[in-house]
Amino acid sequence: MSFFASDFGSRLKGTVISKQIVYGSVAHYLPEKRPDGRTHRWTVFVKPYHNEDLSVFIKKIHFKLHDSYGNCNRTVSKMPYEVSETGWGEFEIVIKIYFQDPVERPVTVYHILKLFHTGPDANDAISANLPVYYENYEEIVFQDPTVMMRNVLMKKPITYVSGEWKHHTDCEKNRIFENLKIETVRKLQEAKRILQKEIDEQKIKLKIAQETLLKFKEEIMRSRKATPATSYLAAITS
Amino acid sequence: MADIRDILDIDRCSGAEALKDSILGTSEKLKAKKNVPNNSSRPPKRPEGMARELYALLCIDGKDAPPLLPTDTGVGYKHERAKLGMRKVRPWKWMPFTNPARKDNTVFYHWRRVADEGKEYPFAQFNKQVDILEYTDAEYIQYLKSDDWSREETDHLFDLCQRFDLRFIIIHDRFDAEKYKKRDVEDLKDRYYFISNTLKKVRHTDGTPYHEPKAYDAEHERRRKEQLNKLFSRTPEQMEEEQMLTQELRKIEARKKEREKKAQDLQKLITGTESSTELRKQEKRPPQRKRIQNQLKIRSDSNVNEVVGIKFPDHKASGATTRSSRMRLPANVGQKKTKIIEQKLKELSIELNPIPTEEVCILFNELRSDIIILNEIKNALSTYMLEIQTFKHQYEAYKPEQILQIPDIILKQNEESMDIEKN
Repeated sequence: MSFFASDFGSRLKGTVISKQIVYGSVAHYLPEKRPDGRTHRWTVFVKPYHNEDLSVFIKKIHFKLHDSYGNCNRTVSKMPYEVSETGWGEFEIVIKIYFQDPVERPVTVYHILKLFHTGPDANDAISANLPVYYENYEEIVFQDPTVMMRNVLMKKPITYVSGEWKHHTDCEKNRIFENLKIETVRKLQEAKRILQKEIDEQKIKLKIAQETLLKFKEEIMRSRKATPATSYLAAITS
Repeated sequence: MADIRDILDIDRCSGAEALKDSILGTSEKLKAKKNVPNNSSRPPKRPEGMARELYALLCIDGKDAPPLLPTDTGVGYKHERAKLGMRKVRPWKWMPFTNPARKDNTVFYHWRRVADEGKEYPFAQFNKQVDILEYTDAEYIQYLKSDDWSREETDHLFDLCQRFDLRFIIIHDRFDAEKYKKRDVEDLKDRYYFISNTLKKVRHTDGTPYHEPKAYDAEHERRRKEQLNKLFSRTPEQMEEEQMLTQELRKIEARKKEREKKAQDLQKLITGTESSTELRKQEKRPPQRKRIQNQLKIRSDSNVNEVVGIKFPDHKASGATTRSSRMRLPANVGQKKTKIIEQKLKELSIELNPIPTEEVCILFNELRSDIIILNEIKNALSTYMLEIQTFKHQYEAYKPEQILQIPDIILKQNEESMDIEKN
């Protein structure tokens, strides 16, 4: 522990480190009817984006469920960071991530628990009784991390599971995160180009409008000179 | 009194007796004298809850309570009597006097202090004489000849000036208009000041003290009087019209100012967007876009650094945050603008919450800023169009035979924006 003893807690100005995570939920429909009316078994989770052990820098994760659950505050302090429950309704889960260095304030993300299939393929998915997956990509950005945080973040990542690390989202053809990133950037750039074109067009029009206005003003000024004041006034005030 | 004593917790019996004694006067003086010191030697008990300091102020041992209200000792109820002087009376006397202002030595009588007897009449000092220069024949011939004024007329004028102490209104009234020409006050004044100024100038060379010539501009005076006359003889209708006109003028000026302000804002907007896009382009892709950049440079004005659109905070604060939080719209972006952004994003088929990587974050923020810029420009354009239309209508109402042509390109735009507004 001596490596941060000298300047514990002091921040490294200008250093920015980001960690990629995936958070979300998966829900299965329960085949048998239950007396308490719960229809789904679901799990809410926070996963590393790459195959690494998050507990190197995450101390614990706090899941705040709906108030109707007994003990609605669930804390998980080691991998896997997940909470499984049964239920019948969708609600917002507040996920609060605490870091190893208590100086770093916790980060909060919000996830709306999904139990039901939506979208165009919903009916097929229901008939096939597929689980409802919902995953979000997120990056945690450490601006000026403390020395301790830097040390744990920059450590060589510990592989979490042997073998391939896949997200469920990656199984869907059009939503593979890496592809999604590239695609989103492409779309944004395209949109910007379109917008820029539109802005340029509008600006030219604006210029013309400005000039026209000036011209009109001059025109009116000129005609004003030639006529008595009262009739001009009438024209202006009308 | 008994009530007060109750409140102050003073022994009732002795207090009441003492009171009665004092009212009754001397009859029971003895008894009273016996009782009063008895009472005062025993100061009243401090009521509960009263601060000690306050109590000490009220009752210092054995002494009377000091008055609670300030008394003004300087002024009593009685005014002092007037102090009469003890000096001897100065006598007055009915005596004759002459006024040196009069030439006829007439004697009048008046009351005067005996001490002042023989002194000059005090009001004589107010009899000021105007020093009017006189010209000699030689001077007149040499300097003062005029085509308009004959010697006799000039003499007549100076005679009148002397007689009436330069009161030109009276001089004008008495001026012999039958013998000479009918002249107005300005003519008389002009002639008088011309002569006296010329004389002053001519005589100055002799070494006598120089007198400042008095400037008189007859033409200016005439105009001034004419103006005053006009101002005085306005009819109520004319006054009303004048008021109306000044009001209109004020309105027009206000409108003009407003328009100028708008134009300035617009200029800022134009230069602002250009400079911001230009900056961005310089950052992003300098080689391919050089040509466009140059074009932009030509168009944009020199005053840069005015970036409109959305100003996202630059997230320089230390600590851990989520990337997606950097794509949140700042709080100063109102609901209306948010709606506009959302609609435009939908049009461009961009997700409202795209995947939060660093690059996406920057691009997405820029995109939304551009959307707002576009919107601002469109707004500005439609206000311009409105103004143009107004001007056009004014002009045509006023000169029906002529038509101001609005360029087609912006005319079409205006209709589009109208359609959007309708929708």
